[in-house]
Amino acid sequence: MAAIEMAPVVSSNRDGRFAKVLIYVGSGILVVAALAALLAPLLTRWGPTEIDPSGTLAAPGGEHLLGTDGNGMDVWSRVLHAARLDLGIAVLAVALAVVVGTLLGLLAGYLGGWVDDVLMRIVDIFQAFPTFILALAVSALLGGGFFNLVVTIAAVNAPAYARLVRAEVRTLREMQYIDAAKTSGASTIGIMWRHLLPNSLTPVRVIAPLNCGWAMLTLAGLSFLGLGVTVPTAEWGSMISLGTSDVVAGRWWTSVPPGLALLVCVLGFSLLGEGLQERADAKRR
Amino acid sequence: MRILRFVGRRLLQLIPVLLGVVVLTFLLVRVLPGDPIRSILGPNATEADADAARARFGLDQPMWKQFLDYLGGLFTGDFGTSIQSGAPVTGEMALRLGPTLELVVIAVTIAVLLAIWLGIWSARRADRFGDHTVRIFALFGNSIPEFWLGLVLILVGYAALGWFPAPSGRVDPDADLTPLTGADLVDALITGNGPAISSAAAHLVLPVLTLVIGVLAPLLRSVRASALEVLRSEAYAAAAAHGLPERTLLRGYLRRATLVRLPSLAALVFGTALGSTVLVEYVYSWQGFGQWALRGLLYRDYPVVQASVLIIAFAYVLVFLIADVVHAWLDPRVKI
Amino acid sequence: MPSETITREQAVTMLDIQDLSVVIHRPGRQVAALSNVSFSVAPGEVVGLVGESGGGKSMVARAIVGMLPSGSHATGRVGFDGADVLRMDAADLARHRGSGAAICFQNPRGALSPTRTVGRQLIDRLVTHQDMKGDRAAETAKELFAAVGIRNPARRLEAYPHELSGGMAQRVMISLATGCAPGLLIADEPTTGLDVTLTREILRQFRHAADTDGRGVLLISHDLASIAEVCDRVVVLYAGTVVESGPAAKVLREPAHPYTRALLRSVPDVGGGRVVATAGGMPLMTAAPHDCPFAPRCAHATDDCRSTRPETTMLDGDWSLACFHPQETPLAEAIAADLTTAATEPGDVVLKIEDAHVVYRSRFGSGGHHALRGVSLELRAGETLGVVGESGCGKSTLAKLIMGLVEPSEGSVEVAGKGVRKQSRAERTRAQMVFQDPIGSLSPRRTVGDSIAEPLRAAKVPAKERAQRVEAALGRMELDPSILTRLPHELSGGQAQRIGIARALVGRPDLIVFDEPTSALDVTVQAQILDVIADVASDAGHGSVFISHDLATVRGFADRVVVLYLGRVVEEGPVDEVFDRPKHPYTRALLGSAPRLGETRTADVQLVKDLDEADAATGCALAARCPFVTDTCRSQEQTLQPYGETRAACWRVPELTALIEKS
Repeated sequence: MAAIEMAPVVSSNRDGRFAKVLIYVGSGILVVAALAALLAPLLTRWGPTEIDPSGTLAAPGGEHLLGTDGNGMDVWSRVLHAARLDLGIAVLAVALAVVVGTLLGLLAGYLGGWVDDVLMRIVDIFQAFPTFILALAVSALLGGGFFNLVVTIAAVNAPAYARLVRAEVRTLREMQYIDAAKTSGASTIGIMWRHLLPNSLTPVRVIAPLNCGWAMLTLAGLSFLGLGVTVPTAEWGSMISLGTSDVVAGRWWTSVPPGLALLVCVLGFSLLGEGLQERADAKRR
Repeated sequence: MRILRFVGRRLLQLIPVLLGVVVLTFLLVRVLPGDPIRSILGPNATEADADAARARFGLDQPMWKQFLDYLGGLFTGDFGTSIQSGAPVTGEMALRLGPTLELVVIAVTIAVLLAIWLGIWSARRADRFGDHTVRIFALFGNSIPEFWLGLVLILVGYAALGWFPAPSGRVDPDADLTPLTGADLVDALITGNGPAISSAAAHLVLPVLTLVIGVLAPLLRSVRASALEVLRSEAYAAAAAHGLPERTLLRGYLRRATLVRLPSLAALVFGTALGSTVLVEYVYSWQGFGQWALRGLLYRDYPVVQASVLIIAFAYVLVFLIADVVHAWLDPRVKI
Repeated sequence: MPSETITREQAVTMLDIQDLSVVIHRPGRQVAALSNVSFSVAPGEVVGLVGESGGGKSMVARAIVGMLPSGSHATGRVGFDGADVLRMDAADLARHRGSGAAICFQNPRGALSPTRTVGRQLIDRLVTHQDMKGDRAAETAKELFAAVGIRNPARRLEAYPHELSGGMAQRVMISLATGCAPGLLIADEPTTGLDVTLTREILRQFRHAADTDGRGVLLISHDLASIAEVCDRVVVLYAGTVVESGPAAKVLREPAHPYTRALLRSVPDVGGGRVVATAGGMPLMTAAPHDCPFAPRCAHATDDCRSTRPETTMLDGDWSLACFHPQETPLAEAIAADLTTAATEPGDVVLKIEDAHVVYRSRFGSGGHHALRGVSLELRAGETLGVVGESGCGKSTLAKLIMGLVEPSEGSVEVAGKGVRKQSRAERTRAQMVFQDPIGSLSPRRTVGDSIAEPLRAAKVPAKERAQRVEAALGRMELDPSILTRLPHELSGGQAQRIGIARALVGRPDLIVFDEPTSALDVTVQAQILDVIADVASDAGHGSVFISHDLATVRGFADRVVVLYLGRVVEEGPVDEVFDRPKHPYTRALLGSAPRLGETRTADVQLVKDLDEADAATGCALAARCPFVTDTCRSQEQTLQPYGETRAACWRVPELTALIEKS
């Protein structure tokens, strides 16, 4: 008798092939971007802030692969060198946000009581603003620069992690293995460190890559408005900002390449995050 | 009745949060570096000029006195006087809110409707070609810098094709529009000004499109994810196994159950859109709230900064409150 | 097969499964979920489909409604009223689902759509399958609700699923399935998670559907003994194959297949019959077997069994079997009751609870849930105390109270002579607990070895001694030391529960609390774990508290038993005394509802309505459900009174026997 393939009611991607593709492509993009950032001096003939006296706004081709901008700086070189700053600030800021947010969330979630109340009211105030607007306000008040930008972006994101981890911990602390740890005589710190922390990080692992992409967009957005990194330092947002006036005149090469570079890097983080999410979902099912 | 009590209770809970916002912004603008007075005075101003200006804006008073004056003003709807322009903040702000709300409300509405439709469509084709396409598209939307997208759209829609007006205003000045609410399309519709309607609409297309692409992605992802969860749920399988027809399944068992989680996300996205408009307004020279607030921030215009921060916080928490009410209405499990 | 035979068969059967095999292909692995399964169901007949999880029961149900999982390849025939479900096109399938065969899902609360009123959901079925509209549909919905025993149906129609209790949700689920007016009603584990007093009531609903409406009923369950009573025939599945099928009474009393016998012997019996554990677990088949899949676990297996797959042979009449060595002795004789519990000399008092109350306060407002209302207990080393009751009676709260996980709002708890809330970290490990969810009670990212050693770390035992004691505990659980480095999700339920017991034992505690330790396990694994627990509980060094909703498991090894109802002890005494001569009406109802092997017995006390915690307010807690209630019961709180060796909280005990006979 012939085998009959039954039409499933809901077909589902249980093998996670799509997730794997997403993760590979995403991390592939990020590896290439990181390499380009590290090897930038080897891949370019002009320095990122070097001015070509022979011409501003030169069209792509010839001496300058992607032309020059209004200051006569090489666009290709600037796009590559900018990756260092954009990737670096974003990753550092998210790492800082994860550490601070997780610790606060862990304390609030497990200890409860007034610790929880105080921490969550602070988080409430932070979360009374759309994150970009908060970043805008903080950085306008704090000023630009590498360190300030890392702190700004981290501060804006940490409350979300605190809330996420707190919610997770509040579910986890009702689990039987936490009761089991208590009856086995584990101390409060032991329970938090050995049992709650490792298990509450699962959602953080998925969110963090997505958040890195968001951090890059925020950083570029701030610079675009003149609040983050300023010319002549190579940064994608400020490069796009510099090219705004060229666009109306139809000159694409000053603003399109840095935007594309930004898009591709953020896409790398998004793909990775989406893939991790999909894999986590598949595991849960 | 229960809804009213719930809303009342939530509004009461807002008071400490908003009070916190008020105190925090008041302190931060004054503690952090930057001086609003120096920026309005010319480079040749003397110390005496500066002191006079400070006295004019009450900045020579002790901090607590300034705060009490500010708080007292708030209760009467007085947000103070702008240091930069010398005009009352309340009036300036009212003028700027219309254009921004017009942009954000239209964009978020379109994005929510589109996300519901596409998300459910995509989930029902889970892991087939159409679904993958939608998801990749959403990922792109998620990763695109809006300000850059705005530029690219200008490059294509205005510079190359010439289909849309130049990014330098919200309505053709020749259309003779009488401003009422500040939202130009609404004003044009109210006054029945034909040329103004088409001009305002044409000016809206690109900025709205930019915002929609920016905010669609998270909504779409969420609708798709929850639709998928419903489709894979035991409850849906049970309804399908009992042979209910497609239409009943879609209407009674999929749609509402899917939309249950959307309101709070839509509120979050409304906030994202509010943030993005600052950038989009900048790109399209849209004289809106974001531009105004940004200038205030850059020049340390204390009253403007305090007012805009408070308004944004208030709008944002209000939207969340509305979202909670809608959620409670959609989901019978929620007790309010 | 000659064509006349088919037509004749169709005349009497409705569902006719022939040689059905289902293989599920997943990347990297393949599972033979069903291999050559054949059986049939006729209208008006109740057929039980029995086996442990992984046996393929649910796959059969899915195949009947044409909802096999993705990646499935099905061969054979699922005949239904002459058509083959496997070969139906989308339109035929849509017609077949619901009106042909309708499933009552296992977890009714999950299977009801949360955002639609249950009335609307029922009316959807009526509109689709019975062409009803408007008022008529609403009227019929009300009748259907009433028919499954829902009080106040008009009001319940407006309810959302989350507002229903488990029993109520199951009734709604049944009404939804019958609302499709199906030829065949499939019930997937319809009584899982329900209390004993409700189980029989729900099962009766299915018998009723077959008798009055002439539907065929397929009753899927892991518990042969409890469904046998309402079934005409039973089909036993093992590893995707039918090992035995035949008339229910016959299979229950004289099972011929060693697996059927193992299944029945694994279930403890309230009558006191001994559990016989069968080692090993069900294999996961990757292809249709070429040998007897039960052979590795079978005491009677020979080389034949290990090399050839036994054909299905007819024994007599309706009774068929796939075994080379059919067993003939009736089961009841094979398991001669062995009630001699080694009498251990009671030691020191290890647990003392005095008049403990526990109230869970709701975070806002003044209300709260009164989980325990004045419980007093005493337990000595070497003793085992059984605690039984339905869900919501306060069993788990009692366990948490003993472990110091909740605080008493009144009264006191002492473990090993020390108040629970005053213990140091090391003293806290004097009481240990074995949890309900074996895998969930192990920290997901800690190795097995780490988990077992945790109590020793708290007691500051040096590392070297720790390793030795962990290994010793592991040895007692008959586990290989290689398991120490594994993570919880790599364990089977049975292994995980052995780890849980090892962790409880390793610190040589004064008291071990077993909180429903086997309820999450499969039947034959359950028997293995019960064996282990019986051994552990008989240690003289510590006292044991064994908590279960299942009376039969408690009877197996408890010395004394207490019956809890809505936070109060309603009866207490030596285990045999309580089980053989129950005093309190609630205990009688509980025992009467429990299934007994080889005999059918009607409950001598029938409770009049479902459990409702609001009833606990004043007077006797059972007043609202007790058939013998008087005004005195409603107004006066009942306290424990001695009646012979037991104590019961009911003033009518002396007259009860007469009352029961009269009713």
